[in-house]
Amino acid sequence: MEDRPILEILRSFGPPEWVPEWALWLTAAGIGVGMLVAFVSLLALFSIWMERKVAGHIQCRYGPMYAGGWHGWAQTIADGVKLLLKEDIIPTGSDKPLFVLAPAIVLASIFAALVVMPVSYGFYFAEMDLGVFTILALGSTTTIGVIMAGWASNSKWAIYGAMREAAQVIAYEIPLGLSLLVPLMALGTFSLLDASSAQAGWYGMNWAVFQNPFVFPAFLIFATAALAETKRAPFDLPEAESELVAGFLTEYSGIRWSFFFMEEYAAMFLMSVVGSIFFFGGFETPITAAARSMFGSNDHLVVQLICALTLLLKSFFGVFLMMWLRWTLPRIRIDQVMTMGYKYLTPLSLLCVLGAAVWELIIS
Amino acid sequence: MDFQAIHDRLRAIEAPGLQAADEPREPNKEKKDPGRSGNPFVTVDPARIVEFLTVCRDDSKLDFRILIDLTATDPKADGEELSVLFELLSIRKKHRLSIKASIPKSDASIQSATAVYRAAQWHERECGEMYGITFVGHPDPRNILLPDDWVGYPLRKDYEFPTEYNGISCE
Amino acid sequence: MTIEQQKGALTLGSEGRVLPSGEREFMMDVSTSDLEVNMGPQHPATHGVMRILLRTDGELVTGAQPHLGYLHRCAEKIGENVEWLQYLPYTDRYDYLAAMNNNLGYSLAVEALMPGLEIPRRATLIRTICAEINRIASHLIAFGTYGLDIGAFTPFFYAFREREWIQALFEKICGARLTYSYIRIGGVFNDAPPGWLQEVGHFCDVFEQKWQEYYDLLVVNHVFVKRTADIGVIPEEMALDFGLTGPMLRGSGVDFDLRRDMPYMVYKEISDAGALKVPIGRGEMGTLGDCWDRLFVRVQEMKESLAVIRWCLDSIEPGPVLGDVPKVIKVPPGEAYVGIENPRGELGHYVSSDGGKVATRCRVRGPSFTNLAVLEDMMPGTLLADSVAIIGSTDIVVGETDR
Repeated sequence: MEDRPILEILRSFGPPEWVPEWALWLTAAGIGVGMLVAFVSLLALFSIWMERKVAGHIQCRYGPMYAGGWHGWAQTIADGVKLLLKEDIIPTGSDKPLFVLAPAIVLASIFAALVVMPVSYGFYFAEMDLGVFTILALGSTTTIGVIMAGWASNSKWAIYGAMREAAQVIAYEIPLGLSLLVPLMALGTFSLLDASSAQAGWYGMNWAVFQNPFVFPAFLIFATAALAETKRAPFDLPEAESELVAGFLTEYSGIRWSFFFMEEYAAMFLMSVVGSIFFFGGFETPITAAARSMFGSNDHLVVQLICALTLLLKSFFGVFLMMWLRWTLPRIRIDQVMTMGYKYLTPLSLLCVLGAAVWELIIS
Repeated sequence: MDFQAIHDRLRAIEAPGLQAADEPREPNKEKKDPGRSGNPFVTVDPARIVEFLTVCRDDSKLDFRILIDLTATDPKADGEELSVLFELLSIRKKHRLSIKASIPKSDASIQSATAVYRAAQWHERECGEMYGITFVGHPDPRNILLPDDWVGYPLRKDYEFPTEYNGISCE
Repeated sequence: MTIEQQKGALTLGSEGRVLPSGEREFMMDVSTSDLEVNMGPQHPATHGVMRILLRTDGELVTGAQPHLGYLHRCAEKIGENVEWLQYLPYTDRYDYLAAMNNNLGYSLAVEALMPGLEIPRRATLIRTICAEINRIASHLIAFGTYGLDIGAFTPFFYAFREREWIQALFEKICGARLTYSYIRIGGVFNDAPPGWLQEVGHFCDVFEQKWQEYYDLLVVNHVFVKRTADIGVIPEEMALDFGLTGPMLRGSGVDFDLRRDMPYMVYKEISDAGALKVPIGRGEMGTLGDCWDRLFVRVQEMKESLAVIRWCLDSIEPGPVLGDVPKVIKVPPGEAYVGIENPRGELGHYVSSDGGKVATRCRVRGPSFTNLAVLEDMMPGTLLADSVAIIGSTDIVVGETDR
């Protein structure tokens, strides 16, 4: 596999002699960042539209139908433009630098975490041996931003949201990490690309859930912890609409508010990607295996496209599941959230880890 | 039990403060009596109202466990008296009782019924602010519906509507 | 844990307070104080314009003080200044979610003062149908908004889907969707248009199936049960002492319903025919008298109202719908208190007349006002999320609390 795909592609265009190496490198980095930003923005756009349609249909109504013609596909674009044009309100008495910095931190952390996500076997933004580690670490950095937002808003309701967020995220970091250890053991690697290719056997169906009986329970724990990490219902206490007005988001309006929401959908997508890659095969399905045998190797363009599409579809299915749960289940109370995290999920995930390790030792 | 039976029972147990019973009656042209329609009620001496209510609540045949309403009325604009009204309900015996106690307007105070029924607490707050009645022994006699600095007793018949409040005028 | 107050302001008590278990709180060097938060007047979960001053220690509520009066519209004073029939639109607006019942309460109270007035039977039956459909509509909102408070967004939409149909029905019969002024002194304003009664019957059939949907989606949902069971328990003694009525009382296991036990209009015939069943809380999911029981009573009442409506539809016959009332009503002198079963409890009207065109006293005993008083005692000691659940279970309408 190439080390830096974009750089290689740039080099293959044959730049003139006088262009120094670092300029090429910088341009490649710039293009990569630009692509990622564009991708995340489009992702948030599409996810918000999808959420509104899913919510609408679950609630026996249509959702956006008007903006842009066919089923309101341009609704989010219109909303984004509206939010950009809104007055930038910073409450008096709020901690202005923190208030402004909070959405930036939150969004930057998620962008950084998404850098690790691979697009296909041949194309990625950054290949890291400790990919999943980086994702977990950067994903938790968003909490700092949320707590900053709650504190800087100078509003008691925002503080409630921030405190709940702190407690909830810290409680669910443990089962999140532990439950991810189980497929790591089954697959034997931290890197996302290697994890995906380790599931290529059985005509593309050698997914992690089939490799070790403890992976499926670990997936359930991972799914619950991922819901709690991304503050999605039934764990959406930090922004509990009907209790805390809007939790830590109360004082945010306009484009800053939309940053928080982009972060939420990007985080949902990220958790979905991690879940798809480590539990359900990532790029591997029978179709990918067939394409690979038809076109020869992983480097063929068609195979790469199929890989990218597969991952996208699997992740969006995960996102859809999260949305489905949000509109069905009520919210859980904070002490019940804590109880579940510490008293049930942590011991269960430890048991899964133990069981998976024993299985690997004995069977493999 | 109907009203007659309740009234008989009240007299039988010598309920403290019981004064009279007022029942609906047909108009009588000879006595120049316009008559009265509606529900019957008993009048009670306001000085002994708490004992009366306690007896109503605790007596096994009356069993008025619920205080439905506690309010007052200003019968005549130029009158001298306010009437405090109590509505009692018994769930097990399925009957009601209306009680009236008259207090003078100039010295409008009566014992608080919060000792007997917890429900009286909020009703008395509202009654007090609207009619200017002091409920002696009430644990928390703040205004409930009106702002704390409201002047006057709105539901009295001689109430003058203010035209200004805290600098806001309605002229 | 008393909250000392001066002229309505809230000041904190002294430090080192005594906890409910009897121990004295150990105060560390780090000085923390309770947070005083204002819940309302604008808040998504206070069911109207009401302000509750909360004192919290983290998420634990240590004191709660409701402040009312934001929606006070002087209904009782107005009653002494307008004519009898002109007061009817005002009655719509206190409990605006069950306006038919308000009209009914006021009309029955005034009719109690007019002994010679005869209400036609068709009018009584239409009154009953409208009151019961309005009970279903009001309980649908209680159910939907309670789900919203707990965080379940979807049952609200399902409930409103049926409520839209009910409002369309009411629009056909009296022209208004929310504040009807339809049930008048002497009967009802006009007869039901042709086909209306059949549509009501059709609605009952469809609603019965939808009811099962609501039950399965929210009422027995595991997360919902965990959020509402064992919360806000009102024991029977406390309920009676506070003067609670309606689902608040029945949720605590007390089997009392004004329609069955102190009947008015045709409810005696209905309950004799077995069409009026009164659901009470039984503590199925937790303690008797918790929030879940109260919601359960309301949801069951929706179903039981269907039987009452069907009985009325079967026995209704053509006839006049308004008794012999003059255009300007002069009520003979007297005073009367009439209480009816509102969806929220006992709605009582005390009216007194001196023979003229205008009442001398028009007192409204709103059930929400009395039901709200339990908050002061129930909220301390619960978590913030539970306070929202408790407020939702009282099912108050601030229009009725403040009048």
